[in-house]
Amino acid sequence: MKLPEGRLCRRRVVTDLATPLSRALEDSFTGYARLVPQDALLLDSDSAGILTFDRGIPVIAYHTGTGCGGTDALADIAVAGPYRVELYNLDREALATVHDMSELTVEPGTPAEQLAGVTELAQQTRDRAPDERVDQESSQHAVEAFLEDEERIAEIQDAARQEAQKRASEWGFDN
Amino acid sequence: MVEAFAVASGKGGTGKTTTTMALGMALAEEHDVTVIDADTGMANVLFHAGLADVETTLHEVLAGSASVEEAVYNRFGMQVVPCGTSLSGFREARPDRLRDVVATLAEGTDIILLDSPATLGSRSAVLPIILADRLIVVLQPTIPSLSDGIKVQEYATTYGTGVAGILFNRVTDDEAIEDIAPKAEQYFEGETLSTVSESDAVRGARRAGVPLLSYAPESSAAAAYRKAASALTVRSRDVDTVADRFSSAVIPDEI
Ligand SMILES: Nc1ncnc2c1ncn2[C@@H]1O[C@H](COP(=O)(O)OP(=O)(O)OP(=O)(O)O)[C@@H](O)[C@H]1O
Ligand SMILES: [Mg+2]
Repeated sequence: MKLPEGRLCRRRVVTDLATPLSRALEDSFTGYARLVPQDALLLDSDSAGILTFDRGIPVIAYHTGTGCGGTDALADIAVAGPYRVELYNLDREALATVHDMSELTVEPGTPAEQLAGVTELAQQTRDRAPDERVDQESSQHAVEAFLEDEERIAEIQDAARQEAQKRASEWGFDN
Repeated sequence: MVEAFAVASGKGGTGKTTTTMALGMALAEEHDVTVIDADTGMANVLFHAGLADVETTLHEVLAGSASVEEAVYNRFGMQVVPCGTSLSGFREARPDRLRDVVATLAEGTDIILLDSPATLGSRSAVLPIILADRLIVVLQPTIPSLSDGIKVQEYATTYGTGVAGILFNRVTDDEAIEDIAPKAEQYFEGETLSTVSESDAVRGARRAGVPLLSYAPESSAAAAYRKAASALTVRSRDVDTVADRFSSAVIPDEI
């Protein structure tokens, strides 16, 4: 998948994606976001999630590390912990080709629900999205895809265990 | 005979405080229950229990200027230990004293519920998880909440704390949760204790400053919490074992 290069307009580290997603909606942002997990303990830390927007509404998602697109990519992108978020402006004409790749599309409200965990924002996004794109059940599929990915979950568990052990000695919890 | 549970989630706003108060009241029908606001940086129990105006809270106890007894309030059939919300109160509090507070309260109650912070990022934030015998993990059926829940469980088990069960809150799709819950259960030590829907009664209770089971005892959300209470098997241990457990969580004096 080939995305034309956009113009970097914002770059910051956030602990939760609710803020950038709701800002994108508020600002009717058109372009794409690169979401780079900052958790160094997760193995493929140099890969990124890509999410495009058309006037504030998420359109397609893919993950450069796993190569997955669409709803499956959201399950790959959603990690616990901080992300570096880079927003790139790109106009609708430039996005048109990738936005036609239906296998990569995500349901408008699903990123808010599954990347940020905010149902209210998901609903607001759906209210502003074209009706034919809205599908309330899409979120359920994303959650199930996540729960079926045993390898991913094992990775989360390993990373958390290592972090807990490391911190225990930093904090002086171990005997 | 006592068991201490930490009501935890990793992610913020999943309903830990709501659950602590509602489950506490439901458990209080059969047990002697003590609720402690162990979210000492972002205390919230006081607003859920009509205790917003009290003078003495856990902050004063942790600062060494009040005894534990002075911060215990009998409300809604439970003993409630609220925590203050001021920054200075938080700064003066010595988090490591929480262990003694829990150990003291353990002598006179059956169940301790520790309302826990939404973060794992500091010593004081993970303390409730260390001090508890088992966790009750509050989840929303979303990927961030599930992955944070898995993370919190991993921390707990690393520190020798078990998991009593998971509770889904703010559920908007009753059919979807029936598919999601069993898939999620595979990854958690405990079973699903209950499923609580997104509910106006819960929001109303919060606005009124009283626990759900007092505000809307007939609501379906209240019924769901009663179901969670009966699904929870309390493994009471004798107070000495508990004291041992607390002292094995070695906590240095310096913060
Ligand atoms: N089942 C529900 N239906 C509707 N609203 C709910 C429900 N559960 C919780 N809420 C609302 O969500 C908000 C957060 O709930 P609560 O304070 O219990 O969460 P928390 O996990 O303790 O949050 P924090 O992480 O900030 O401590 C509150 O306004 C509460 O009224
Ligand atoms: Mg809370």
